[in-house]
Amino acid sequence: MKQQAPRLAVSLLGRRVPEEWREFVLGDLEEEFQIRVQRSPSAARRWFWRQTLRCLVAPPRARSHSHHAFPISGDSMLRTLVADIRYSSRVLLRAPSFTLAVVAVLALGIGANTAIFSIVNTVLLRPLPFDEPERLVRLFHVPPQATFPGMPRFAVSAANFYDWQRDARSYERMALYRFRPFTLTGGGPAEAVVAGAVGDGFFETLRAKPLLGRVFLSEEDTPARGHVVVLSNGFWKSHFGAAPEVIGRTLMLDGEVYTVVGVMPAAFSMASWSITHRDMWVPIAYKDADRAVRDNHNDMVVARLKPGVDIAHANAEMKDISQRLERDYPKENTGWGATVDPLQEILVRNVRTSLVMLLAAVALVLLIACANVGNLLFARSLGRSKELAIRTALGAGRARVFQQLIIEAIVLATAGGAVGLLIARVSLAASATLLANQVPRADEISVDARVMLFALAVSILTGILAGVLPAIRAGRADVNDALKEGGRSDAGTIGLRTRRLLIVCEVAFSLVLLTGAGVMIRSLLALQHVDAGFDPHNVLTMKVGLPETRYKTPAQTTAFYNDALRRFRALPGVQEAAAIDDLPLTGGSQQPIVVDGHAELLPRDQPTVAVRKITPGYLRAMRVPLLRGRDFAEDDVHVMLVSRAAAKLLWGDIDPIGRQARLPLESKTVVQTVVGVVGDIREAGLSENPVATVYEFTREHDWSHLALVARTSVPPLTLAQAVTAAVRAIDPEQPVEEIRTMEDVRDDTLTSQRFSALLLGLFASVALALASVGIYSVLSYIVHGRSREIGIRSALGAKRFDVVRLVVVEGMTPALIGVAAGAIAALGAGRLMAKLVYGVSASDPLTMAVVSATLVGVALLASLIPAYRASRLDPSEVLRAS
Amino acid sequence: MWFRKDAAILGDFEQLVLFGVLRLEDEAYGSAIRQEIHARSGRDVSINAVYTTLDRLELKGLLRSWVGDPTPQRGGRRRKFYAATPAGLAAARQAYGAFRAMTVGLAGRLETK
Repeated sequence: MKQQAPRLAVSLLGRRVPEEWREFVLGDLEEEFQIRVQRSPSAARRWFWRQTLRCLVAPPRARSHSHHAFPISGDSMLRTLVADIRYSSRVLLRAPSFTLAVVAVLALGIGANTAIFSIVNTVLLRPLPFDEPERLVRLFHVPPQATFPGMPRFAVSAANFYDWQRDARSYERMALYRFRPFTLTGGGPAEAVVAGAVGDGFFETLRAKPLLGRVFLSEEDTPARGHVVVLSNGFWKSHFGAAPEVIGRTLMLDGEVYTVVGVMPAAFSMASWSITHRDMWVPIAYKDADRAVRDNHNDMVVARLKPGVDIAHANAEMKDISQRLERDYPKENTGWGATVDPLQEILVRNVRTSLVMLLAAVALVLLIACANVGNLLFARSLGRSKELAIRTALGAGRARVFQQLIIEAIVLATAGGAVGLLIARVSLAASATLLANQVPRADEISVDARVMLFALAVSILTGILAGVLPAIRAGRADVNDALKEGGRSDAGTIGLRTRRLLIVCEVAFSLVLLTGAGVMIRSLLALQHVDAGFDPHNVLTMKVGLPETRYKTPAQTTAFYNDALRRFRALPGVQEAAAIDDLPLTGGSQQPIVVDGHAELLPRDQPTVAVRKITPGYLRAMRVPLLRGRDFAEDDVHVMLVSRAAAKLLWGDIDPIGRQARLPLESKTVVQTVVGVVGDIREAGLSENPVATVYEFTREHDWSHLALVARTSVPPLTLAQAVTAAVRAIDPEQPVEEIRTMEDVRDDTLTSQRFSALLLGLFASVALALASVGIYSVLSYIVHGRSREIGIRSALGAKRFDVVRLVVVEGMTPALIGVAAGAIAALGAGRLMAKLVYGVSASDPLTMAVVSATLVGVALLASLIPAYRASRLDPSEVLRAS
Repeated sequence: MWFRKDAAILGDFEQLVLFGVLRLEDEAYGSAIRQEIHARSGRDVSINAVYTTLDRLELKGLLRSWVGDPTPQRGGRRRKFYAATPAGLAAARQAYGAFRAMTVGLAGRLETK
């Protein structure tokens, strides 16, 4: 009976022995095994396993197939590299605490970098999820700068759009779109939805295909046939349970029947481009009168460039067309230009600067981590000088030792990178909700191949950066000195200059980061305390939009809102209730205004103001001060309130009370009389100057979408239920949306600043911690190495204080140089941040002073501990030990 | 140089393997060489060391090799046979000569009883 050789051993051998020998080696072992098995099967098995293990430890090396004239030494590049990596891994595993410390520091640095890069990658680098997205552009008007100072882009008027569409040759397709609020009824409680109203060719421009059914037909872009709807994936799932037979079903929107013709795939919805992030889409279906509107700019435009047409060419063409339109329609179009911007650019422009700044900040953290790790590696290479000297004595060239040390650093950094990648994934997942409000396309952020590649590249670079100085120093070490048995080595003084330089760098980088964080935080505080012109505390806000199909006349809407406000005021805890069309800081109408019976000027020269429609009591509810004149009264007709800035803009120093003005976009004939002057509001944002604003009385205007505000004496959100119930009591089918406090509305405008301040603060604290650990470890090392010298000094009569001073000066000198260098660098970095801060200079002297003092304090603390230890050294013990 | 420059210098283990190949004549393959070395020198070497050395000697032009037929006791695997080339023979002679020359007159002290 033939015995089987141990199968596991055979299979292990099969993997390990080079293929060209496998057959012969296995055959030989099998053959001898069969002979041995006759004598003793168990001994034969043991023998087989012994042979196998020896093969596994040092497998037969396949010879190179190249034809060398001389026997090769086996020192080929790749083999050395592999050997170095294996050697490094073994060496590092033998010093687990050192390895752990270094990997942890690097993981932190690389992890933070990878996380921020993942965001940058998604937001700035990854193409949009449409076919050939680089050809997608947005078209805007450029408004006349005299009347809209500093405003680079403006919505488009319908008539101009149709002229662009007819004349422009640069585009494959273009389509206009806007948003249209609906009240959805017929299934449970009424629901407010905002649909995308899209012009003919919208989906075709994006080349977006429906998941089910179809998108709109050209002939459905008319009022007569426009009652069709395409559902979003989310709406289809939440309202139809993802039923495939949804096509042909109907929805009641504003009391009218719409037929479902299609469902879009989930990937079509991009949170950062709101037109795609809708519940549903309907045809824009303009009437002929709507299409002819040229002087009211309310529509958005998306287009796809023809292949080979670039932005510059498209812009040049739009300039020509705009000039022609100015000539043809001077009354509406004088001063109105047009601009073409890549869609991606439009979606990310607000965050680009912040992201670049964060990437720079996080790179600084990594540099500090590098300096720290460099220090640790350096300390270690000194401890290993004997090992390295032996290698050198045995014939390893300086380059060879250098390579070995660099590879060790890279192995460490790669391990750190692997852990860092994990940290990045976990922290991104943990902060997903935070991110969602801060950056566009947050829902798409992920660790993809490019991020992995980035992490790998950063790891290798980090390894080289951290390893190069220590490796150069180690290569220079004197072999003779190092090998002398018990040779006196003042380890603390070797390479001191290098290590001092590392401290200087760490402190300098930390100072830049801390200054940045400090300035961001001061800017945020300044913004939070800026007087917006109203009192946002204890104000509840909500939106109530009345469907035109059920509230057909101004009388009906006025009755509804009056009733609702009356019911609000009757609620316990409500002091005042009022309504406005658009809440402060949320944007709104901007219109030309004509004063005192002057003739209407060309659009280029006509002053414009923000126009808001309010009810009496709004000023009291928001605590907007009434500076002169009076508030609206219930029976007022043709009246207007102006803000101080508007009064100054329109009438200069003349008293505006009793003066008259006209808003030609709303009515060519109605002249309104100014009855009061009110305080300014920072409409355009807390960091912007107040906007010239005029207020009209809602009752005089057919306005069916209002925000309601209630000044409360209790925490505002406790009234959310009560106000919803009050609205439902009037009309059970009427939804109430976006119930929020005014403080939340204000804080929403600060999210990006808060995000930047938070991350910068986080990075700066990590930097500070790393820098203090760095100083501490270097000084401890120096004290350790110079303990003999310190012992002699003490023996010769140096006081404890002298010793402390010696060490502290040793630590503080590079720290102070670092502070000075960092201050200069921070001034430079301030330029990058200038656009991001408000109410404080990006190189704010106070912040710089505080930050410098903090760093000096931390450095002092980090020096004092080793200094104290040095002062406690017992001279007799130290001298005996050496 | 004190040796003939056309004969390669052999390491200790290379000598054992090369002598093994010469002793086994037509039957010189991995396992046989390993057992021959074990039996005569007492060194229980590993098969991989034998192959590594055989390969190196072949690369130096001291050995040549050919592959035999599969046999059942090897689980259907083939043997790889080795034989010395003229250069291999010369190297073996050189090693033997050096050994003999260096041990002349030492027999009394070196031989174990």
